[in-house]
Amino acid sequence: MKVKKYITLLKAGVIESVQFRLSLFIMIVGNMLYLILIYYLWNAIYASAGTDKVNNMTFSDTLIYLVLATAIFNFMEMYAVWEIGRDIQSGKMALNLIKPMEYRSYLFWSYTGGLVTNFVATFLPTFIVIRIVTKDTIPLGLNLLYFLVSVLMAVEINYSIDFMVGTICLFTESIWGINIMKQVVVLLLSGATIPIAFFPETLKTVVYLLPFQAIYNTPLTILLGKESFENVVMMLGVQLFWCLFLGIASRVFWNISVKQITVNGG
Amino acid sequence: MKENNECAIVMKGISKEFKVLNRREGLKGSLLDLFSRDYKTVTAVDDISIEIPRGQIVGYLGPNGAGKSTTIKMMTGVLEPTRGELLVNGAVPYKNRAKNAEKIGVVFGQRSQLWWALPLTESFNILKDIYMIPDQEYKDMLEFYQSLVDIEPLLHKPVRQMSLGQRTLSDILAAFLHNPGIVFLDEPTIGLDVSMKSKIRTLIHALNQEKGTTVILTTHDMGDVDALCRRIVIIDHGKMLYDNDIEHLRRFFGSYRTLKLRLSGDKKAQLEKLTAEIPECSVGITEDEEWITVLVDEEKRKVMDVLSQIQNSYTVRDMQLEEISTEDVIRKIYEDADRENGAASEETEEGSESK
Amino acid sequence: MTNSISKKRGLGFYLHIYRMIVIQDIKSKMSYRSDFIISTVGMIATNVTGFISFWILFRNFPSISGWGYYEMLFLYGFSLISLTPVQCLFDNNWSLRQNVFSGDFIKYYFRPINIFFYYQSEIFDVKGLGQLAFGIGTLVYAWAKLGIPVTVLAVVELVVFLITASLIMIALQNAAAATCFWINNSFYVLDLAYKFRDYAKYPITIFGPVFKFVFTFLIPIAFIAYYPSLVILRPDEIPVLTWLSPVIGLIFFGLSYKFWMLGVRKYNGTGS
Repeated sequence: MKVKKYITLLKAGVIESVQFRLSLFIMIVGNMLYLILIYYLWNAIYASAGTDKVNNMTFSDTLIYLVLATAIFNFMEMYAVWEIGRDIQSGKMALNLIKPMEYRSYLFWSYTGGLVTNFVATFLPTFIVIRIVTKDTIPLGLNLLYFLVSVLMAVEINYSIDFMVGTICLFTESIWGINIMKQVVVLLLSGATIPIAFFPETLKTVVYLLPFQAIYNTPLTILLGKESFENVVMMLGVQLFWCLFLGIASRVFWNISVKQITVNGG
Repeated sequence: MKENNECAIVMKGISKEFKVLNRREGLKGSLLDLFSRDYKTVTAVDDISIEIPRGQIVGYLGPNGAGKSTTIKMMTGVLEPTRGELLVNGAVPYKNRAKNAEKIGVVFGQRSQLWWALPLTESFNILKDIYMIPDQEYKDMLEFYQSLVDIEPLLHKPVRQMSLGQRTLSDILAAFLHNPGIVFLDEPTIGLDVSMKSKIRTLIHALNQEKGTTVILTTHDMGDVDALCRRIVIIDHGKMLYDNDIEHLRRFFGSYRTLKLRLSGDKKAQLEKLTAEIPECSVGITEDEEWITVLVDEEKRKVMDVLSQIQNSYTVRDMQLEEISTEDVIRKIYEDADRENGAASEETEEGSESK
Repeated sequence: MTNSISKKRGLGFYLHIYRMIVIQDIKSKMSYRSDFIISTVGMIATNVTGFISFWILFRNFPSISGWGYYEMLFLYGFSLISLTPVQCLFDNNWSLRQNVFSGDFIKYYFRPINIFFYYQSEIFDVKGLGQLAFGIGTLVYAWAKLGIPVTVLAVVELVVFLITASLIMIALQNAAAATCFWINNSFYVLDLAYKFRDYAKYPITIFGPVFKFVFTFLIPIAFIAYYPSLVILRPDEIPVLTWLSPVIGLIFFGLSYKFWMLGVRKYNGTGS
């Protein structure tokens, strides 16, 4: 029963995350408040621009894009780098390494519970609200299915990047520094703070060659439903590539690092 | 309040209650908890009265969760008692936390209060200024320390590089540095090796003798109690079980003997069988798991009688007869209290629940 | 420190202790060199990416609600500077939650000094100074480009309002951190406060009347950059609130301190 232990971890995570109802409440309210801010800010920005479309994005498009980027960030962010760093500093890592489960999977699955709670508590309400507010700009069709597939891959890509960065913590004591660098770079280059469509051409070319855009830009572009079927397949293909590549790379990097560390007795 | 001046600590009818959330089990339970919650009141400390004169070393004992740390937290001004009157150095600690802190020293478990990255001497320098210790007193204290233990190698070592023993030692030295009237030591020797334990006991004893410091010592280590405490206070389930001289305690249990046996076969199984076969004695296993101990009250039954009963059904390979140890006495007190509570406990548990 | 008999602990005493602890903290930070360097680089990266986002935004939209690029840059620089004190002096707030839950927080009760002071004094975040430099650079550049005359009065006003703005930010963070005395997952609260401050750099008028009220009186981030900057940027339309902001800063700081200390009293010393 290999699946069973994953389900157990997932369930435990859900229980843990709903236990603190006040913080759950704050999370939901805070999230909503934050989204209203984005609304007003971009409303003012578009009002000042004088045109309906900027870089082929309407106000509704931009709003949907940014609001859902935040919502995805909220349910996807696992703070895995922190967790790994803390496990290393507290010496718990040694214990985790002898558990009968790969550390990478263990960490991932113990997070998925919170992930599910957050998806229901923040992403779904946000999605519903934004769809009502923007009056059916989001088509309800196959794009939703593609979007879900894309989000699942985005979760894996994001986690792989997190895990790779977390692995660096095995070598340095600087958890904060590494984490903040990762966070700001990923948020900018993935198009989470500003849609990649707004980037200058050269920067855009570079960003499309990097894996980060597959985390936010790809699922959100797909959701807006403006791309042709061929393009969607292309985008999912690129995502799949990064998914596999980073999944393998992060595992290899971790295994080599652990070996190195244990040999040196660090 | 004049008579209180001779007392370092006066507690009258002190109780402390906490409100605890009753969590339901499982995924469904935790979802239900989201919407309706059920609290109950737990009494951590229940109507305790103690007077501790200046200069005494008091062993404050009890099993885990008995309410020891809650008491210490009230004495140090961290917690406010729910009921009762508490005076430390003549003042109410919770209302005058900072003033109270000036005249006490605390070592709490294995949590170092020193600056982690700093060499000990730098920590001491900061403490000197925080407590406004006059230069001469500070110098004298360090010299006194040096005469007790070799502190020189510790002084220039960052705390994070110290061994557990060195760190505990440093924390104790730091707690006494400003020559407080009372020092609270919570499990000061836990996890330390034999030689470090004895070093720390010698140090505490000397400081108490020389400076007249009152010491409140919570510990599970009966070696600490034997070496340091004349008086012990025992609590369990928040209630006071015993408060008297340690000698008195030994005398009270004077008719008790500990019979130590080495039998062939599995100790765990023997423990169970013997407990059933001789219900009037308390049977245990020593900490090193070498011996089976049988605590015999000679007023009820002679040791020889018990021994011959055991010899009938077991092969005794080795045996020793000892006076009752402090450890056995304490265990006996816990057991007796538990037995008495056993019948009554069900009622009180329900009674303590409140909506 | 003189050997005073009365043992009164006044401002002089606290300044002296603060200096002592901070110097020790910086010394010990230096002993973890690689951490120090990486954290500094991380801090620079944060500021640089923040600036890039800002720049990309204004490449597409030349002005927001009548606020031009350099005016916005001025607000941005102003907010960076006013965020420096909270970063440098009150960074230990971020660890409050862990300290409270592990039970380690109890050690702060055992010293005869103010707990809030003792706790905050333990960490001095040197890398916040990088942010200060970045902020000053941005502010000076924007000021020059706007061609606003530099007068003594303007500089004095700027300094006073920067201090005011810092107090507000400190108050926000204190209050957010102190929620950990009551709720378990207070990281979200602190994180939220941290996110909100990103919006301090926009003119508050764009958020509509409801949020103008919220950000002025409830979560007062409008005082971090907007209200104080008006003195320099829009001298003709300064609202009363701008002149009141030093008082408001002090009030919010005082309230946050009270709230923090209320948490301290409520804490029962166990990792609950």
